[in-house]
Amino acid sequence: MTEIVTPGERLALSAEYDAGTGTCVKDTFICATLVGIKRVLPAGQAEAEQRPRVEVVRSGVEPVVPRAGDTVTARVVRINPRLAAVDILCVGPKPVQQRYSGVIRVQDVRATEIDKVKIEASFRPGDVVRAEVLSLGDARSYHLTTAQNQLGVVYARSAAGVPMVPLSWQEMQCPTTKAVENRKVAKLDA
Amino acid sequence: MAGQREAQSVPWFADERPAEVIADGVRLDGRSLEEFRNVFLKTGVISQASGSAYAEFGHTKVMVGVYGPRQSERRVEYSEQGRINVDVKLASFATRQRGIFGQSPEERELSAGVQAALEAAADLASFPKASADVYVLVLEAGGGELGVAATAAALALADAGIELFDIVVACSVSRVDGCLLLDPSTDESFREQGGLVLALLPTSNEVTQLVSRGRWSGSQLREGLELAMGGCAQLESAARQCLKDAAVAAAAKQRHRCS
Repeated sequence: MTEIVTPGERLALSAEYDAGTGTCVKDTFICATLVGIKRVLPAGQAEAEQRPRVEVVRSGVEPVVPRAGDTVTARVVRINPRLAAVDILCVGPKPVQQRYSGVIRVQDVRATEIDKVKIEASFRPGDVVRAEVLSLGDARSYHLTTAQNQLGVVYARSAAGVPMVPLSWQEMQCPTTKAVENRKVAKLDA
Repeated sequence: MAGQREAQSVPWFADERPAEVIADGVRLDGRSLEEFRNVFLKTGVISQASGSAYAEFGHTKVMVGVYGPRQSERRVEYSEQGRINVDVKLASFATRQRGIFGQSPEERELSAGVQAALEAAADLASFPKASADVYVLVLEAGGGELGVAATAAALALADAGIELFDIVVACSVSRVDGCLLLDPSTDESFREQGGLVLALLPTSNEVTQLVSRGRWSGSQLREGLELAMGGCAQLESAARQCLKDAAVAAAAKQRHRCS
């Protein structure tokens, strides 16, 4: 028997249950904030799971909004010597429904020797980049960073239009023309 | 083009408004004093929008589309919280007099009223820096547009999957010749001595928007507010049922697709 709840409906007493996703605590009650199915997870053994948790599983698509600390997948749209402008495609594994623009500034490209970074030797328009959201940025765009090993270019095409193969953390090679291009390459798990 | 802007009356409307709107405790459309018009609510009516709702209260017909949360426009300044932008548009054929080109003062007032009613209900921290754009189109203005628009807009926000502390239900009350009328039509509010619109979060009875017009004595206002709160409670069950029906339909559709 599944129970469908709507925003504002009281689900449980906050003294007896923990508030999970899709709920909020209002006075002494846990209330739903979404339309969806009410679910109660039993209490576990761990310290943080002393009480059963009540949550709401949404019906319909979740609106995806980037937040600080999220890992995002983005496509580079244009570059200049100070920054690379990108469009965010996915937040974690979830695709965004709307267009969010971000920038990777030259000082956020890599962790070391940040004064020697050249944007054009790190990203090219069209590259797909994995990056982390540094902050919500300014009114225009989110500030992103690739200053970690696992962050950087994950997919790039060479001048010949062929997807390139990474050689090192700063080089990629075109399999047909054998030309080597510079990129800030992400180290992906095997 | 000054000539085109002049209001023209649409020929198929009655020219004169009725002088008497109540006869022996019964209203012109056959309702009793504390009775709603026929209410119809439905969500998911605009396929391109993130969330949408259609509400019909008698002759008042309102369509709401919610887009987003999406990146705020460039001209708005940075904000840590999300924001809700409301734009209410009266269709040019919605009122007795043809609408004017551009945003009318009435539309601006409605937009501000709906925005105030919604802002307290939405969890703005759940979509930082982004904005949810709420577009309300009044297809026919048959009275009580603000309340109908706020109710429908809250349903559309819920349909868009935006986290809400509660839904918003709103209704209006008019005082005509000492009688309090729930959910007045345009003819009734045209003859009113006082009117009020109440929007609230029904679970906690928190008021998010209250507009009152005309002269009210203290006791009358108390009675009017009580009537409006009773009306909101009736609307609440209809609104929740509408959301639940939509969720059941969506689940059935998904199951159908999987099998």
